[in-house]
Amino acid sequence: MQTSQVRITVNGCVIDTEPTRSILEAMIDAGETLIDGVGCMGQGVCGSCRVLVRRQGESEVLSALACETRACEGLQVAFLDHLPMHRHHVYAMDDWNGDSWRILERINATFPEAQHCRHCGGCDSACPKHLQVHKGVMLAAAGDLSAAECFDECIMCDLCTIACPELISPNHLGLYVRRLSTAIGFRPADLVLRLHQIERGEMVIDQDVASTQP
Amino acid sequence: MTGIDHRLALERLLASDHAAPNPIDDIEALLKAHHPDYREGSLVSLAVGANRGSECPTALAASLQSNARIEDADLAGAPVVDTEVLIIGGGGAGCAAALTAAEAGGRVILATKLRIGDSNTVMAEGGIQAAVGEDDSIQRHFEDTLRAGHGCADRRLVACLASSAPDSIRWLIDRGMRFDLAEGGAIGGKLLRKKPGGATRARILSFKDYTGLEMMRVLREAVELDERIRLWNRCPLVELLSDEAGHCVGAVLYDLALHRFVLVRASCVILATGGVGRLHLNDFPTSNHYGATADGLVLAYRIGAALRELDSFQYHPTGIAWPSFRLGGLISEAARSAGAHLLNGLGERFVDELAARDVVSAAILRECAEGRGIEREGMVGVFLDIPELERRQPGTLAQRLISLGHLARQCGIDPSREPMMVRPTLHYQNGGVVIDENGTTSVPGLYCTGELSGGIHGRNRMMGNALQEIITFGRRAGLHAARSASRHPAPKVGLFHLQGWRRQLVAAGMPLDRFGPDLFPRYANFDFGDELALRGGKRTTYAPKRARRVE
Repeated sequence: MQTSQVRITVNGCVIDTEPTRSILEAMIDAGETLIDGVGCMGQGVCGSCRVLVRRQGESEVLSALACETRACEGLQVAFLDHLPMHRHHVYAMDDWNGDSWRILERINATFPEAQHCRHCGGCDSACPKHLQVHKGVMLAAAGDLSAAECFDECIMCDLCTIACPELISPNHLGLYVRRLSTAIGFRPADLVLRLHQIERGEMVIDQDVASTQP
Repeated sequence: MTGIDHRLALERLLASDHAAPNPIDDIEALLKAHHPDYREGSLVSLAVGANRGSECPTALAASLQSNARIEDADLAGAPVVDTEVLIIGGGGAGCAAALTAAEAGGRVILATKLRIGDSNTVMAEGGIQAAVGEDDSIQRHFEDTLRAGHGCADRRLVACLASSAPDSIRWLIDRGMRFDLAEGGAIGGKLLRKKPGGATRARILSFKDYTGLEMMRVLREAVELDERIRLWNRCPLVELLSDEAGHCVGAVLYDLALHRFVLVRASCVILATGGVGRLHLNDFPTSNHYGATADGLVLAYRIGAALRELDSFQYHPTGIAWPSFRLGGLISEAARSAGAHLLNGLGERFVDELAARDVVSAAILRECAEGRGIEREGMVGVFLDIPELERRQPGTLAQRLISLGHLARQCGIDPSREPMMVRPTLHYQNGGVVIDENGTTSVPGLYCTGELSGGIHGRNRMMGNALQEIITFGRRAGLHAARSASRHPAPKVGLFHLQGWRRQLVAAGMPLDRFGPDLFPRYANFDFGDELALRGGKRTTYAPKRARRVE
């Protein structure tokens, strides 16, 4: 079937493709070697295929996921490598244990830059999922653990971390708040009871049950 | 393959009376003619290895019976690193094993082909089974799983899965993974439970419809922040190391960033490399991650591990058939169980949508093969008619098919107005390497966990048992390996097992120039020979092979 060709530029190389193809597909079609910066191939959940794109006639450079972005005439694409990034926000698994009244002190100690947000909005415009990243940072920096919800759909692509001029690492701050609020504050009653029953030997499995028919 | 033009098919769909489909007279004949697991010529008998004589799909057999990519000479000068536990694979199983092994005091290296978290785990939507409900029990979880697997799973493994499941959920919560609640608050509430197909009780716990993403981002962060775990991204496994007794004593990795082999001498090696979807068995599209090329399965088999149920795969009936960039992506069974119809390009229903998965898959393939499929931009499939369902049961999309709505928008479709195009997709490897409750295999020193291991799902996996398996058995393998690991590397490590392997290949008349594991899908345009030419600094900058440079 006949489709019109479009010409895109990926990492400086010209590729002719069809407008129905994603950037990743266009690369594969063109015979490019694709062995990194690729993962879930379209679902948009792994955050591996991060690209900067500029559309023809526009001056703005946007971040996107190559698996979700379709080719169009004149599209310029640059893949972002996953740098072996120095993680300056390091914390131990028991970071949030202890006095949960002082949780804001823990957040500030682990993510001190969050107090210095310039409100530039860079994180929000970098997010390929259009999450309210800045709002999440503000809530977390104020000790409001509902910040967790702002990051519900975060895929940890680190684009906001790259964009942030204050080195806040917004997605890692978001995940920190998510993890701590769950680890210290999530105790479903049915699970608590079932664990208790199993540990006391009140619930065991008979492997020799003759029939497995309902 | 061609089909009926999409526009014409849409017109016929609108005019369709949605009459009930004719019953299928001869299911056996349908399966034999169209289902990849039954189709004549789709399976071959293995000629070498521990499972000689067993049947498995042709494409997988070629990989399983491939020759090693390396010789002793390739390893000359490669750096040697020692550890107690080496884990291959950065998905949920590998991360659970690494965290547990490190907590138990083991020295751990986690190596992954792409990047930590790039895995089928992160793509899992449905959820994770654990019998926590008042009306449920671990006995029921055990029996349901055994029955769904057609009674051929390993009872010990299934019992282990079911009885450890609640504790695995606690382990995940302790590391910061959240689950949805049905009622009440975070303290004292009740977990939201969904019922998997084939279960007697609602048992699937979830976080919205991206449970795997929530799990993977927590595990990835925990591993990256754990200073006891050395994490090597972009280091695929190329071969296992053996001693003279044939025990597994480490692995040969290839560092794609530095273009060199690395030898890791390890007391215990845990393979957690996932499934095989990207081998595209029987030329099927797949819902699997880019890295799912059976690397661990191939190498475990080569060093002598036994496999089971290697002819059993899950072909999910409703993979996406259009647009191409989402080809093979999964549309959950929820759509059909809510009442959505499948129609061909003539506007006819052709199968009971809630028949067994293999029957529905075969029927869709029949429509496509016989020219009654629908063609759009070169892709062929059948319609999954969500608009008609929404007219019949208003509100279904918003209440029951949230994930489908998201997917449709990704495809540029308004799901309330336009039907999705679907065809079967290769989803899961039911069988795999034979393991015991601690993930050990028939090869001393070698562990397997996650999708590449077999015995838990029998010949059919229930929804929600894959995520449970990777946590329960990932943890068990990690703990057992850390406890049994020796601090000292084996005195003599090498490629001792390859001699016998090559002898077998020659004796069986197998080609010696089919190399494995594949490492990447065929369309990755990756040539290991070319890659090796990059070694030693001969050519260190990336140069595109065919595309032209910008002038």
